[in-house]
Order: sequence, then C-alpha cells, then structure tokens
Amino acid sequence: MFKDGIGEDSRFKQAHPLVNLIFYGFVIGVLMFSMDPYILALALIFAWAYSALLKGRKVHRTNLFFALPVLLFTVVVNTFFTHNGQTVLFFIHNNRITLEAFVFGIATAALFTGIIVWFVSFNEIMSSDKLIYMFGKIAPVLGLTLSMIFRFIPLLKERFKEIRMGQQCMGRSNEGKLMHRIRQLTKEISILISWSLEASIETSDSMEARGYGLPHRTSFHLFKLSAEDKTLLAAICFFGVLASVGCVLGYTNIEYYPKVTMPEFSMIRLLTLMCYSALMLIPIVLDILGEKRWQRLMSKI
Amino acid sequence: MATIDVKDLSFTYPGGKKKALDGVNFVVEESDFVVICGKSGCGKSTLLRQLKKNLAPFGDREGEVLYEGTKVEDLDDALSTAQIGFVQQNPDNQLVTDKVWHELAFGLESLGLDNQAIKRRVAEMANFFDIQTWFRKDVSQLSGGQKQLLNLASVMAMQPKVLILDEPTSQLDPIAASEFLKVVYRINRELGVTVIISEHRLEELFTMADKVMVMDEGKVIAFDSPWTIGNFLAKGPHPMFYGLPAVMKIYSASRKKGVKPYMQGNEEYAPLTIRDGRLWLEEILGDRGLGPVTFEEEEVKGEVALDMKEVWFTYERGKEPILRGLNLKVMRGELFCLLGGNGAGKSTTLKTVAGICTPQEGTITVDGIQVKKGNMQELFKGHIAMVPQNPQALFTEICVEDELLEAIYYLDYTDAEKEEKVNEMLKLMEIEHLRESHPYDLSGGEQQRLALGKILLLNPKVLLLDEPTKGLDPFFKITLAEILKKLQDRDVTIFMVSHDIEFCAEYATRCAMFFDGEVASIGRPKPFFAGNSFYTTSANRMARKWLPSAVTWDDVVEALDE
Repeated sequence: MFKDGIGEDSRFKQAHPLVNLIFYGFVIGVLMFSMDPYILALALIFAWAYSALLKGRKVHRTNLFFALPVLLFTVVVNTFFTHNGQTVLFFIHNNRITLEAFVFGIATAALFTGIIVWFVSFNEIMSSDKLIYMFGKIAPVLGLTLSMIFRFIPLLKERFKEIRMGQQCMGRSNEGKLMHRIRQLTKEISILISWSLEASIETSDSMEARGYGLPHRTSFHLFKLSAEDKTLLAAICFFGVLASVGCVLGYTNIEYYPKVTMPEFSMIRLLTLMCYSALMLIPIVLDILGEKRWQRLMSKI
Repeated sequence: MATIDVKDLSFTYPGGKKKALDGVNFVVEESDFVVICGKSGCGKSTLLRQLKKNLAPFGDREGEVLYEGTKVEDLDDALSTAQIGFVQQNPDNQLVTDKVWHELAFGLESLGLDNQAIKRRVAEMANFFDIQTWFRKDVSQLSGGQKQLLNLASVMAMQPKVLILDEPTSQLDPIAASEFLKVVYRINRELGVTVIISEHRLEELFTMADKVMVMDEGKVIAFDSPWTIGNFLAKGPHPMFYGLPAVMKIYSASRKKGVKPYMQGNEEYAPLTIRDGRLWLEEILGDRGLGPVTFEEEEVKGEVALDMKEVWFTYERGKEPILRGLNLKVMRGELFCLLGGNGAGKSTTLKTVAGICTPQEGTITVDGIQVKKGNMQELFKGHIAMVPQNPQALFTEICVEDELLEAIYYLDYTDAEKEEKVNEMLKLMEIEHLRESHPYDLSGGEQQRLALGKILLLNPKVLLLDEPTKGLDPFFKITLAEILKKLQDRDVTIFMVSHDIEFCAEYATRCAMFFDGEVASIGRPKPFFAGNSFYTTSANRMARKWLPSAVTWDDVVEALDE
C-alpha cells in the first residue's frame, strides 16, 4: 500500500512548519553529536523507513546513491589515515591499520548517511512555501526573495524551451559538431538573458505599482497552529528535550579508541535511546495512522 | 471633484525630438469607464503611466495630473498604492511570487496589513474572481488568461478606487480576453471602480464604455461617447476606424452611402451591439433577402505545397492523442488559416510540420520533401521556416539591421549579397526607418515584422505562422495582410494558425476549423464562415438572416449599397 509513497497525503507534511522544523532540529541535532552504534543504527533505519514511506520504492536508489560513496569514502579514509587503536590488522609501510579505525569509519558513515537520508524526507516535508514562511519570519524580504526565486526557476525554464523552439523554427538545431553546439547554446543563453532583463522591467513596475518598498512590510501565510499541531509539538519537545539532555550528558557516545568499548548498562542510557526512538517514530506513526484512517473512511463510502 | 483631472499635460522623453504627449486635457469622473484607443506608439502607455505615482517615465513634463484634487506626485505613497491600481500587458512578467495566494497578498503585504486582515481581503477576492479552485496552485501552472486575472485580482485586493489597464488583453486569446474584459466591466458596474483602459480590441469595449478617447501622435483628438467617436472615426476614416466593432463600421459606412438610419423615437440611435445591428437591418430590409444562399463547390486546384496524411501525434505515451489522423493539403501560393479553440492542437500541427515534433504515424511532405529527421537540414534550406509566437525568441543582436543579417550570416553568400538581401528585406517589411533601433525598443507590431523578415531571409517556399496577429493594432494588421499578399504573389505558401476570425475571413484563401485532432470543416472563407452559425465573423452574425454570404463588414456594406 505504500509502494509509491504517500507524498502529499502525509499528515506530518500538513502540520505547521514550526512543528516540522523543530522535529528535524531535534533529530538531526542529537544525531550529529552521537556515536553510539545503537543510536546510529536506529536513526539510519528510521530515516530510511520514513523517506521510503513518503517517496515510495524509488527512494532506495536515491538513498543508496548518497550512502554508498559516503560509506566508501569514510571507511577508506579513516582506516588508512588513522592509526590509533589496539587491534592491529596489518601494516602498510610501517603504518598500523587497525580494526578500531575501520569500525570508526563505518560509524561515521552511518552518521553522515543518517543525516543525509533525514534530509531526503525533510526535502519532501518542507515544501517551498514552508521555507518561505520560516524565512519570512526572520525577515519579510528574505521570504519574498525566496518566493521570487521559486517563481523564476520555472519561468526561465519555460522561456528557454520557447527560445529553443524559436531557433528550431529557423532550422537551427543543437545537434551536430561540438563547436556548433556550443555556439548555438551560447546564442540561446544570450537570448534568454536579454529577454529576461527586458521582462524584469515590467516585473519591477508591477512590484512598484503594488507598493513594494513601503515601510512596515508584512509577510502573509496560510499556516495556523491547530490543536493537533500543539499536541504534536508537545510530544516532539518532550522526547526531543529528554534525548538532547542524554546527548549533552554524553549518554549517546561510546569510546572507539584505543579499543571499542560498549559502556555498561545504565538506565539513563536506555531511556535516552528510547526517547530518541520515540521522537523519530512520531511522524512515521502519525503518517501510517493517518493513511489507515483515510483508507478506512474511503472504504465506508 | 473629478477623480482624475489632467491639465495641459505635455511630455518629452529624454533625447526625444517629438513630444510623446502634447497638451493633453481631460477629466474622468468617478465610476466612469473610459477606453483609450489609438495606433501603436501614439502615447497611450505614456499617458496612462503619468496617472500612477512612481510609474511615470523620466523626461520633461509640463502641466499637471490631479487625483481627487491632489497632484499625483504629491500623493502619499501608501494611499497612491492602494487607491490607484495598475495592470500591464504581459501576464507572465507581472507575477512576482510563486503561489497564487501569495501573489494575491503581495500588495497587502506592502501596505503592512496583518495576517488576519490580509486573509479576509484575499478570501473576498478569491470569491469575486472565482479563483478558489486554483488558490493554492503554483503560478507557473496557470493559463495566460488565469495569470492575467490573477494580476487583476491582486491589484483589486488593495481596493483601489481607480483601475488603470494598459492593453491588458493583447497577449490573450479572444476567449480569455473577452472573459477578462467582462470581469473588468463587473468591477466597474458592481463595485463602482473608475476604469481607464487602453485597448486595440474595441469590439467588446465599445458596448461597455461610458467614454472613448482617441489619441494620435500624443494628442487627444476626440473624447466622447462611443457612438459619437464611431462617427468621428468614420469621417476620415481614421486608422482606428478599422478597429471599431463591425456593427459600427457597417452602420457608419452605410450611412455615408445614404442607407436609412436607425431611429428610436425621433432620434438617431447608433447600433453598438449585434442585437442592435440586427434590429436596424430588420427595419430597413424587413423580409427581403439579398444575395445568393448557395455556393458553388469550388475544386481547389494547383500544385500541393504542404501535404499531411493520416498524421497521429501524442506528447507522451498513454496520453490522449493531440492529432488524430490529420489529413490536409495546402496548395502553392495559398494563405491557409487553421482556426480552432485553445489547446485544440493547432500549434502542435505547426510543430509537426516544422519537424519540431515527430508524429508517431503518418507522413508530412513539404515542397516535395518528406519531413523527417534526416531531411531537416535540407528542408530549412529554402523550403520551410516558421515564425514563433513570441518574436523575442529570435532576437540576439543590438540593432535591427544586424538582427536581419544574423539570419544569413552563416550561409554561403558574399558580403555584398548579404547586405543587399538585408536591405531588400528592410524595405519589404517597411522597417527601413528603424534599421538602427534596438529590437527590444520596437513596438509589438514592428517586432512581429522584424521576426517575419528574419525568417523570410531564409527564403522559405512554405512559411508557417503561429498567431501572427496577436497584440497587433488594427492598422498594423492591414500592413501585415499587405505583406502576406506580396509574399503570395511571389508564390510563397503561407500556413497560419490563428484565433483571429475577422483577419482570416478577410485575407485567407482558405480556412479550416481544427477540432478533436483533425480538420472538422474546410473551405474558402465565404462558404466556410457562412456555413458556421456561431464560429463566424460578427458581420456575418449580424447580417446572416438577410445576407448569408456576407462575411466581412465590407461585404455587408456593399450588399446594402445595392
């Protein structure tokens, strides 16, 4: 049922941007300062699961595309350039290659990949208007600038398509020899620039006519903090703060050098881990419940 | 107090030799609907810009513009922003933000309203303009007509008292344009907003306007009720006469030839609408029918220049086909017009002929050469070329002369030959006086001719045109028609796609109606339009009961004369 991802229907995506932002703040914030293998593994698994839930099967390829090079890079670099650690595997030119360095490389890779994969879902959740809203909160002009950028990207693409077609109308294709193709592309880009500059005069007039530049500009948005958002925010803050406290106190780290040592069992450690997991599970549970509820409602009709 | 009072306004652009505005005087009362017309470059835009603070161009200005008794330049910024709304030509360029709702709120954000107040105004506007269904969409997903409505709505959200529109429908197709104008009319009638609009398309506006202003070379040469203006333009006739509604053209031309007037009571009452026109004809003609009702079936003779056989085309697999077994033959030297609704696939047809889209099935032959990948190079060497809808897509150089030269720069001609060809084209397109100008400084009609000239330098036997009359003033259209005629005389075949029924009826050799992926009907303009009941010229709609064969306004006038 989640083969193609729930994307736009995600309940978490419909939440207030502040809820989304705080959630990602806690998850990624804690993750960045953690090296405990359990934390890393869980963070990676949940990140992967959530991205797949949102975007469906096709996300596996994207994730692997990011994860594999990172894994390879950190493991190779750390193993061959760090010579700390007790357990020597072999020597290269009198350099110790140790098991600890190898394990640390894998842990770092898990950390980076976890962060990257969380950003894959972040990208889906934080749509452009949410970003614009958050930036608009800092300064209305920032929000507007971002909004204009999102407006101009599709406009320029469309214009470029038209220019290319216009050139084809004269029988000038972008095929053939490399030199010819470069010349043609340069021409098309130069048309795009002069056309866009010309068009921007009208845009600035339109802004001027609608009072751009008056003092006390505000930033309009369509978001409102609903009761459900508040509950969600409370839950996120509760688990997030506990996990962060655990992180700050060092309960999400272990020693890798000189020997990989798993610390003794401690209640606080377990609680931190549980809180962090609960935090990461919030959007997943929310979205699955939302989807189930929707399907139940649909089946009744 | 008058809403807008212009006193002795003159304006000269920096470095300009002539005055762009010359001693303009007029008064606009509250809730008036004023239409400004005139040839391209007569100073309409310059005048409209003087009415809005911060948009007035730089230059030497004399006289003054008063808004409710205060000089426009002395108005408070926020007040001027809110109370005087301004909408320009191009739907795309005026949009600033990425979402419809954000665009609606843009002006209100500038005014510093809080979220709740903006929400309320935006909701009102969305209801008035019926844009709830696309409220959360990206602006890039909207059609041209929707974009322009959005521009209007976002100005209206600020609740202006005066709305100024500078050729707002010139980039829209006729259906979208007519919808847009209806909304403007509603704003005037239901909300009492003063409207000042400049336009070429007077057909609908004349029935809406309280007053019409005619401008010529920076001067206001007439400012009166639509009916008086109609008579005034018919006298010369002034070039703008050709832009009048067909009913008015027929009436005033016939009156000059002594046909009986339309009377209501003891006063002459000029017909403005088709309905009035029909009543007038009813009065003077009664049951007398004029002219033949049937047409002889004419065989189309000549050499085939463009042949489309069973052409099928789909943009994406699994999508509905755009072309469904299209069959079409165009003869050498024809001016063939393909008409049809929006998104019907007219432009796609052109693209398949130009080899930009490759059909899945069927063959297309142009000038005896089949259109397919391997042949394109050869085809574009003197057999086919196309003028795109936006002339800007072609312009690379900094002056008109270089622009034309660029078309043949890489071809095998000597420098002297190139120069000669360019000069010849400048003359043919009647843009010799502009040879030093920058292409972007030309008016819409001049840009269109420059683009046409550039394409024609490739010397095509078959010329494809995509909406060539878009945004042209009525006078320029006549010039364009003359140029096309010259080309036909040189045996160039012209295949054009258009929305402009009146133009096609007057100048085409044959017209075809495109519908549901194929040609639904085809014929010479007279039988073609006489056979349609709705999709026909306004002259024909008015007179079809008596003169089924009269398609253009000239036809009706001639028939009435007899």
